[in-house]
Amino acid sequence: MKTETARSSGFEFWRYRVIYVMLGLVFVFFVIKLFDMQIINGTSYKAQADENRLKEISVQTTRGTIFDRNGYVLAQNVPSYDVAITPAYLPADTGTLEKVYRDLSALIGVPVTNGVLTDSTAKAFTACQTDFGIKEIVIIGDTNAPYSPVNIKCNVTQEIALEVQSHANDWAGVSVVVESVRSYPTGSLTADIIGYVGPITAEAEAEYKALGFVPGRDKVGYAGVELTMDETLRGSNGTRVVEKDNAGKILKDVEAPVEPVAGNNIVLTIDSRLQAAAQAALTHEMDYWNARLGKIKSQNGVVIAENPKTGEILAMVSWPTYENNRMAQNIPAYYWNQLNMDPLHPLVNHAISAELPPGSVYKMAAAIGALNEGVVTPDQEINCPGSISVKQTYLVNDPGREQVYYSYDRAGHGTCNFIKGVSLSDDVYFYKIGGGFENEVPNGGLNAWRLKEYAQALGYGAISGLELPGEAQGLVPDPTWKRIDRAENWSVGDTYIATIGQGYVTSTPLQVLESFATIADDGKHMKPTIIKEITDSEGNVIKPFTPTLLWDITKDPVINVLDASGKPTGEKKTVEPWVIDYTKQALREVVVSGTAKLIFKDTDTELRSAGKTGTAEYCDDVAWAKNLCQPEAWPTHAWYTGYAPYDDPEIVVTAFVYNGGEGASVAAPIVQQVLEAYFSLKAIDSGAVDTTTGQ
Amino acid sequence: MFRKESWRHFDFLLFGAVAFLSIFGVIMIRSAIAGNVNLEAQNLVQKQAQFVAAGLVIVIVLALINYRIWASFSRLLYIITVAFLAIILIIGKASFGAQRWLDIGLAVIQPAEVAKIALILILANYFAKSANSEHNAKWAAKSFLILITIVAWILLQPNLSTSIVLIVIWFSMLWIGGLAPKYIVILGVSAIVLFAVAFPFLETYQQERIMSFIISDPNATHGNEYNVNQALISIGSGGLLGQGYGNGTQVQLRFLQVRQTDYIFSAMANEFGFVGTVVVVALLAFVILRCLRIARHAEDPYGAMISYGFAILIFFQTIVNIGVNLHVIPVTGLTLPFISYGGSSLVSLLIGIGFIESVAVHQKTI
Repeated sequence: MKTETARSSGFEFWRYRVIYVMLGLVFVFFVIKLFDMQIINGTSYKAQADENRLKEISVQTTRGTIFDRNGYVLAQNVPSYDVAITPAYLPADTGTLEKVYRDLSALIGVPVTNGVLTDSTAKAFTACQTDFGIKEIVIIGDTNAPYSPVNIKCNVTQEIALEVQSHANDWAGVSVVVESVRSYPTGSLTADIIGYVGPITAEAEAEYKALGFVPGRDKVGYAGVELTMDETLRGSNGTRVVEKDNAGKILKDVEAPVEPVAGNNIVLTIDSRLQAAAQAALTHEMDYWNARLGKIKSQNGVVIAENPKTGEILAMVSWPTYENNRMAQNIPAYYWNQLNMDPLHPLVNHAISAELPPGSVYKMAAAIGALNEGVVTPDQEINCPGSISVKQTYLVNDPGREQVYYSYDRAGHGTCNFIKGVSLSDDVYFYKIGGGFENEVPNGGLNAWRLKEYAQALGYGAISGLELPGEAQGLVPDPTWKRIDRAENWSVGDTYIATIGQGYVTSTPLQVLESFATIADDGKHMKPTIIKEITDSEGNVIKPFTPTLLWDITKDPVINVLDASGKPTGEKKTVEPWVIDYTKQALREVVVSGTAKLIFKDTDTELRSAGKTGTAEYCDDVAWAKNLCQPEAWPTHAWYTGYAPYDDPEIVVTAFVYNGGEGASVAAPIVQQVLEAYFSLKAIDSGAVDTTTGQ
Repeated sequence: MFRKESWRHFDFLLFGAVAFLSIFGVIMIRSAIAGNVNLEAQNLVQKQAQFVAAGLVIVIVLALINYRIWASFSRLLYIITVAFLAIILIIGKASFGAQRWLDIGLAVIQPAEVAKIALILILANYFAKSANSEHNAKWAAKSFLILITIVAWILLQPNLSTSIVLIVIWFSMLWIGGLAPKYIVILGVSAIVLFAVAFPFLETYQQERIMSFIISDPNATHGNEYNVNQALISIGSGGLLGQGYGNGTQVQLRFLQVRQTDYIFSAMANEFGFVGTVVVVALLAFVILRCLRIARHAEDPYGAMISYGFAILIFFQTIVNIGVNLHVIPVTGLTLPFISYGGSSLVSLLIGIGFIESVAVHQKTI
């Protein structure tokens, strides 16, 4: 150190010192900075590093299968083949690459190059819906995620898929992506029941994301059972947390993967064979009448079949319908618009969503009510002329104005007792028991309030809880409702026409069916259902079928005892079992000697059915527009509900034809054919018929 | 020249530290390029190892040669360097546009590296010879003339980062040579005034170029922002002890870019953590201190200037590279001395170490 100044060769030491100080400051700064980044903020940077490398992948689950009651597949997942290219795996050699592009183009029909790539066109790119050529798609894919396959052509045939796969060695980077799409083997036959699936909407995105579903990939129920039973069918996606490199290539799982849980399967109560028979019966009947009348009279209708003892819906046809297979891969806009603009509303399940005047099928509420309340005795003879003239009063002291109420048979039926009144569906008989007539039926008959109680006891005016979306509740009117809703007092005539299921009364075909199912099963109102069983993906039954009894009108006091002004007294009552018996006798008589005699006479020994016709006058906006609403000649809907065998019913069928005309001649034949089909199928199933020879 | 006692003064600690850093560089490069098929195929590790071996031999050979003989070649070296840089620029421009390297068949010589060594040797000679003359403005201007005739070619390449390195070397040598503080003020003010006066007369595109020069290196790619961020994440996520050699997620999964050269510091911080990084930084500081020590102990001003010049070169490159990695200065293309991949850079630094060892060895007495 002594020699230092001498050895510094004339350079001043303080100038070195400045350098030393700078060196010291800079390196101390570096160490402090490193300490700050690595020790103090190390965890935060570690989190960023993990965000770089870790990726959560959702492993798609499989949606449950839907079967009919016999195990026939109604909705399933089928593979859809997409030809894709993983840009990173394409051959590096340009010559080879061009050959791959040319050969692939020749096979799948996508041009090698097409369209102009700009920032905006590249941003608007959506695989499967693009006009770009292979090269452009590859450039976009290579820019976004070189290790992820990008679809070049979607939904190719299995032959093309196999052809592409056979080139696995010489077409590096080209692969087939197998996507699972929904397929409905029965298509439009069961579309109103099964529905369809579609993409997760923007509004529901947050909700589904929270459940682990991936918008844009996973599909959810949009209609039918696919919608109402979505939670059962959808299962849950699995997750993998993987490590990926900078290019997006997945290297390994960093956590034990959570396996996807497959959705549960659903076995419906529907018998697709009976469904087909019901659809055919409905459409053939409409075709028959349209051909016979030489004009298009009826185009839409409903057929529902149910086991009254269990509530199982065996068939449910709403015509016209739609082809849900066309919604499988995506929902085509033009088809969707076409369906929505169709005045016949094919997307609507009319069996549960249409609120219609029920007409004479509604008379059973009045029939049961009148007997149970002692308004008439079964044998009491009442005069049944072709029309009656009633003083239409709105108030107690209203002098009123005479109004004539007609029966469908202007000749009248002489005198009627209960059975005759029901079997001939005599309107005057029901006017009188419903509204009283000049004390021929004392105390004003059943009246609107009590009629409502019995209608509701049969299931009118409320939704049933069937597992399908869009059920309507119909309307069982009462004076208070009219006062509020129509700003008008209830008139005497309102009671008359409500009794015969006209006027303000509306109901869905399902409600009509349920009312008869209740009568057929001796007062037991079963909850209608289309779900028979739920099974897991291995086929084990998770939820076996158990019929749900909502109420038994002969045991459960569901009917309010009303005072004179129609207010509930707080007391409740049941329906006497003999009333049901008598009603059933009357319904049997409809087929034997009444309005449905002609239709059923040839098959009655086999079917032994009971039923009720209905011809409901209507004047809706469609009829009004067509100028059909002429006084005393309104257009009519055809109704019929029948059950068989009458003494131990196992099936109840309702048929409805919009603007069908007479229930007896248009709707009853449909029910008759469905009943026949039901018993034929039953015979086949029990082995009574040798199906191999068709005997 | 081959006196026995000269080995007494050979700085084994400096040589050891440099050898350690260079070998560590090879090891770090091996980890940095893992997983990159293209880089692996180029045998970078093997190449760098060969450069390290050759470079360390060069250190010993140069240490044995008395550095004083280089002083006599100073004028020739100056002429050759300027001619070389000019030819490179002209040929380069004519054939490939901007050219920063010359392929001489055996190896690639980067003119920038040649310029650094040549400038230090030429300026050392100049300042040594003028050590006893008056340190006036003329003295400083002459040194600037030497600088500008060399740096001009580099600027025209264009290679701003190397130009800055050369200017820094010149200024720091001027500083230690004894530039009076008033000249430093004058120099600073005149630089600013010159710039301010000249700037409005430039074409708009030239102004823009200058602005972008100042703000960032024109050779920097558009991915710089990403690269800098990934570098910070790499350093920070290293933590206390690092993610382990060959296990750094930022390095091995290639989120960190240019890992083997500009961002090898971040790669190292990612895998060896605070402890490992501080050890390497301390070793670099140690190397610089040893070089400065030899400069102070040098027998003559020429030896002192050579040692000091190379110390400043190592110092400046180190702080700029680490500064870029820590994102405290704008992105430039300077490598981390001894550790970053690059044969030219490594060999030129080891040539410098060789000169310094020669200065250490060739002391008559202590």
